Amino acid sequence: MNHASIEKSIPLMAILTLLVVAIGGLVEIVPLFYLKSTIEKVEGMRPYTPLELKGRDIYIREGCYNCHSQMIRPFRDEDQRYGHYSLAAESMYDHPFQWGSKRTGPDLARVGGKYSSLWHQAHMRRPKDVAPESVMPSYPWLEKTELDFADVGKRMEALAKVGVPYSREQITHAANDLKTQAGLNGELQGLQQRYGKRVTIGEREPGNHPITELDALIGYLQMLGTLVDFSVPQPQAR
Amino acid sequence: MIAHSGNMETYDYDVVKKFTIMSVVYGIVGFLLGVIIALELAFPELNGGISYISFGRLRPLHTSAVIFAFGGCVLFACSYYVVQRTCKARLFSDALSKFTFWGWNLVIVLAVITYPLGLTQGKEYAETIWPIDILITVVWVAYFINFVGTLAKRKEKHIYVANWFFLAFIITVAMLHIVNNLAIPVNLTDSYSIYPGVQDAMIQWWYGHNAVGFFLTAAFLGLMYYFVPKQAERPVYSYRLSIVHFWALAFLYIWAGPHHLHYTALPDWASTLGATFSIMLLLPSWGGMINGIMTLSGAWHKLRTDPILRFFIISLSFYGMSTFEGPMMSIKTVNALSHYTDWSIGHVHSGALGWVAMVSFGAIYHLVPKLWGTQTWSVRLINVHFWLATIGIVIYIVSMWISGIMQGLMWRAYDHYGNLTYSFAETVGAMHPYYVFRAVGGIIFLLGALLMAFNVAKTIGNKGEPSPLRTA
Amino acid sequence: MSEEKEVETTGHQWDEDEGYPLKEFNNPLPRWWLYSFYGTIVWAVIYWIFYPAWPLVTDYTRGLLGWSMHRQLDEELAQARALQKPFNDRLEKMGLAEITHDPQMLQYAVAGGKSIFGDNCAPCHGNGGTGSKSGGFPVLVDDDWLISGTIEGIANTITHGHVAMMPAHQKEYGGSFDAKQVDDLTQFVLSLSGQGGNKEAQARGAALFKGEAGCRHCHGDLGKGSARDTLDGAPMEKSIGAPNLTDAIWLYGSDEATVRQSIAKGRSGRMPAWGMGTEGTNHKLPPLAIKQVAVYVHSLGGGQ
Repeated sequence: MNHASIEKSIPLMAILTLLVVAIGGLVEIVPLFYLKSTIEKVEGMRPYTPLELKGRDIYIREGCYNCHSQMIRPFRDEDQRYGHYSLAAESMYDHPFQWGSKRTGPDLARVGGKYSSLWHQAHMRRPKDVAPESVMPSYPWLEKTELDFADVGKRMEALAKVGVPYSREQITHAANDLKTQAGLNGELQGLQQRYGKRVTIGEREPGNHPITELDALIGYLQMLGTLVDFSVPQPQAR
Repeated sequence: MIAHSGNMETYDYDVVKKFTIMSVVYGIVGFLLGVIIALELAFPELNGGISYISFGRLRPLHTSAVIFAFGGCVLFACSYYVVQRTCKARLFSDALSKFTFWGWNLVIVLAVITYPLGLTQGKEYAETIWPIDILITVVWVAYFINFVGTLAKRKEKHIYVANWFFLAFIITVAMLHIVNNLAIPVNLTDSYSIYPGVQDAMIQWWYGHNAVGFFLTAAFLGLMYYFVPKQAERPVYSYRLSIVHFWALAFLYIWAGPHHLHYTALPDWASTLGATFSIMLLLPSWGGMINGIMTLSGAWHKLRTDPILRFFIISLSFYGMSTFEGPMMSIKTVNALSHYTDWSIGHVHSGALGWVAMVSFGAIYHLVPKLWGTQTWSVRLINVHFWLATIGIVIYIVSMWISGIMQGLMWRAYDHYGNLTYSFAETVGAMHPYYVFRAVGGIIFLLGALLMAFNVAKTIGNKGEPSPLRTA
Repeated sequence: MSEEKEVETTGHQWDEDEGYPLKEFNNPLPRWWLYSFYGTIVWAVIYWIFYPAWPLVTDYTRGLLGWSMHRQLDEELAQARALQKPFNDRLEKMGLAEITHDPQMLQYAVAGGKSIFGDNCAPCHGNGGTGSKSGGFPVLVDDDWLISGTIEGIANTITHGHVAMMPAHQKEYGGSFDAKQVDDLTQFVLSLSGQGGNKEAQARGAALFKGEAGCRHCHGDLGKGSARDTLDGAPMEKSIGAPNLTDAIWLYGSDEATVRQSIAKGRSGRMPAWGMGTEGTNHKLPPLAIKQVAVYVHSLGGGQ
C-alpha cells in the first residue's frame, strides 16, 4: 500500500487515526457492560446510606485515593493482611470507583469495623499519635467542620440517574436517616428497614454538638468491605 | 509580534511565544509542587494541618500542572510552531490561536483554584470538575480546527511526520477526555461519573494510560521529529520506520490500559489483553527512539559542543528505558510486585522527567532565540541545567526503584512459619530515607529549571544580532 | 556528508527556508527491530491461546491452561496452609496454658501472634503493645491490666472485645454534678496517686466518690480498679475494666486537666470483638489466630 495517499490527505489521515485508536477501547470496554461474568452475584450489596455517601464525598474531596487503594488483590499476603480479595460486585455502586493506584498507606477495602471510631478520631486528628511511622497528613479540620447535608437527597437523585438503585423512599428520608445514623436520636427502625440491620450507628461524645465531616467520613470508613459476608460461601460467577 | 522570514508568509509567532513563556512558568510551578509533596511525604507535619495544601489535594495539582500545564503549553507552542513551518503557512485563525491560549490558561487557573479547595472528580489525571471539563473540550475542538486548518493550507503536499503525531494526539485526547469525563452533575461543582466500579476503572485507565500514550508520548514524538533533525542538521533516519511505528503505536497503545488493573476485580481476559498489547507495544515505541538516535548518528561530534542536542539524546535514552520498563512492569508477575509501590512512581518520572521534560527543555532552548530573534544568553548555563536535570532524575528514579522494590518485597515477606514478617506500618517506616532522597533529586531538578527560566528571560532580552545557537 | 548519497532521501523537504531543511532518509526497517516486533506478536498469540484473553458474545476465551487469578490464589493459599497444618492441628487441640509450656509451640504461636498483632492490634496498642501517644488505648507490656492479664483473660477480651463507659458527671455534659463538685472529685482522684494538695476539696471529693457519685461501684472501695479492688469487701466483676486510680499508669493522662475532663465529660472506649465480628460487622479473626495473639500478648512482659 502506498502511504503517500494517506499522508497527502488530511481527512484520510484523521479518519484512519480515529479508527485505529478506537478499536482497542471498544474491545476492552464494551464487553464489561454485557458479559455476565464481570460482576459476581453476591448477597449483601446495597447503596450507600446518606451518611456514608457524604463521607465518601469527603474521602474523594480530600484525595484519599492518592495514597490508599480499595482493592485487595488475590495474593496470599494480601489475603492474610487484609482479608478476602475484593470483588467487582463490591464496587458496583461506586461512581467513580476508588480502587486507587498507590499504597502509600494501607488498603482500605475492608477497613470497616477493624478499629473503633475512637481510634479513627484520634488517627484523623494526628496519625502519628497512633501510628508513629505514618506519613499521613493530619486532618484537624474535619472534626471542626459541621457537615452540610442539605444536598444529600439531591446527590442520591443524581446517583439514581446513573443507575444506583435508590428508592424514592430512601431519597425522601435522606436527611433524617443521616441524622439517625450519626447518632442523633431518630427513627432507627426506618433506617434499618431501608438499608439493612447491619448499618452501624455512630458513637457520639456526650453533649450537644453538630454532626461533623469527620462523623460522615468515619461512617463511610466503618462500612467499607463489610457488606458482603465472606464467612458464608458466596456464589461467585467467574 | 509577527516575524517575517524571507519571502515566506508571515507566521504567527505571537501565540507560540506566549505558550513558550507559560510552559517555563508552569514547569517551575509543577516541579515546585512536586518538591512540596515529596517533602510532605518525607516530613508529613509540613502541611501544618492546613487543608488546602494537604497531600491529597496537592498531588492532583502537581500531576495536572506538569502534564497539562507544562506539557500542554510545550505541546501547544511546539505544535503551532512546527505546523506553521512545515506547512509554510500561518496558523489557520488568529482568533482561534488566541482563544486556545487564553482558554487553556483559564483551564489551568481554574484547576489551581479548585483543587486546593477540594473540588475534584476523584479520577486520577482527570480531577477537573465538570464545568472545567466542558471548557477543556471547547478549547480542544478549537485547537483541532486551528491545527487541521493550518495543515490544509500547506504548500508541501506531504504532511510531515511530526504532524501525524500531533494530529493523532489531538484526536485521541479528545476521544479519551470526552468518554472518561461523562458525568451527571449534582450542582455547579460536583458530579458523579456515569460509570460504576469495574467499568469506571477500565475507562479511567484506558484514559489514564493513553493520556501518557498520546499526550506524553505520541505528541512529544512529534516534537522530536521536528527538533532533533533540525538541531542535528541531519535527515530523519527512516521514513519507512516512521510509518510503521506511527501506526503500530497508535493502534497498540490504546489497548495497554488494563495493565494498571492487574489482579484487581477487572476480569482476567481484560488484564491479559493489557499485558500482551503492552509487550507488543515495546518495539513500536522504540521505533521513535531508533529514528531519533539514528538521526543523531553522524552528528555525534556536535554533542560535545551543543548542549541542546545533549538534552535530545538523553531524553531519547530515557524514553527508550522507560518504554522498556513499562512493558516489563505490565507482565502480571512483575506487576504483582511493582503495583501500588513507588516503583510505579519512579517509572512515571523516568518517562515524565527523563523523556518529556528533557525533550521539552531542548525544544525550548531551540525555540526561544528563534522566536525572539536573539542570541542564547548563556550556553554554559544550558550545560549546567543539563547536568542538574540529569543528576536530579537519576537520584529520583533510583530512590524510587529501591523504595518500591523494597516495599513490594516487604509486603510479601514471610517468616519460616509462613506468617507475614512486617506490618504495613513497618514497611512505611522503611520508606523514609528514600522519600528524603527523592525530594533531594526533585530539588536538584527544580534548580535546573530555575536556571532555564533565568536563561530564557535573559535570552529574550538579549538584543543583538540573531545568530546560530552554537556559540560555545 | 557522504551518507546522504548512499541512502536516498524521500525527495520531500519541509521548512527549508531557515536552518537545515527537514528531509527523510528512506532506510529500511532495522532487521532486529522488525523481527523483535514479530517476536512479541507471536508471544502474545501464544499467550492468548493458553490464558483467558478475548471477550466473546456471552463469555470469553478461557485459555488452555484453565488459569485464573483466583485459582492461582487458591493454590498459593493451599500451599501456605499445608506448611502450617502440622502446627495448627496441634495448636487447635492445646489449651492456652499448655501452649506456654511447650517451647516449640510457644515459639510458633508467638510468631503468628506477632504477625497478626502488627496489622490488627498495633494501630491502637502500638508496636509490640507499647501503647500510643493518643489517650485511651492501654499499654500491653506492663502488668497493669484493666480486665485480666491471665492468658485466658486476654483471649477472652480479644474474642469479645470490651466496651468501656465512664459516664459524664458534670451537668453540662449530661451528668448530675456542678462544676465545683467535679473539681472536688478531681482533687480526690489526684490524691489517690499522691498528687494534688487541697485537703478540703479532697475530703469533699472523697465523700462524693464513696457516696453520691458512685465512683467506687466501678473503681472499687479504694479506687484500685475493678481488676484488683473490692466492693463492700467482696471481689468485683472484672469485666467492668475500670482503671486503678492509685498507681502511676494512666489511660488518658495524669495531669489535672485531663483527669478533670475524664470526670466531667466521661470517656468511652471500645475494643473490637475480634472473635464475634468487630464493631457489629462480620470482620473476624479465626479462633486459631486469637489463640496466637493471646499467647503473644501474654508473652510481652505483663502476662499473669
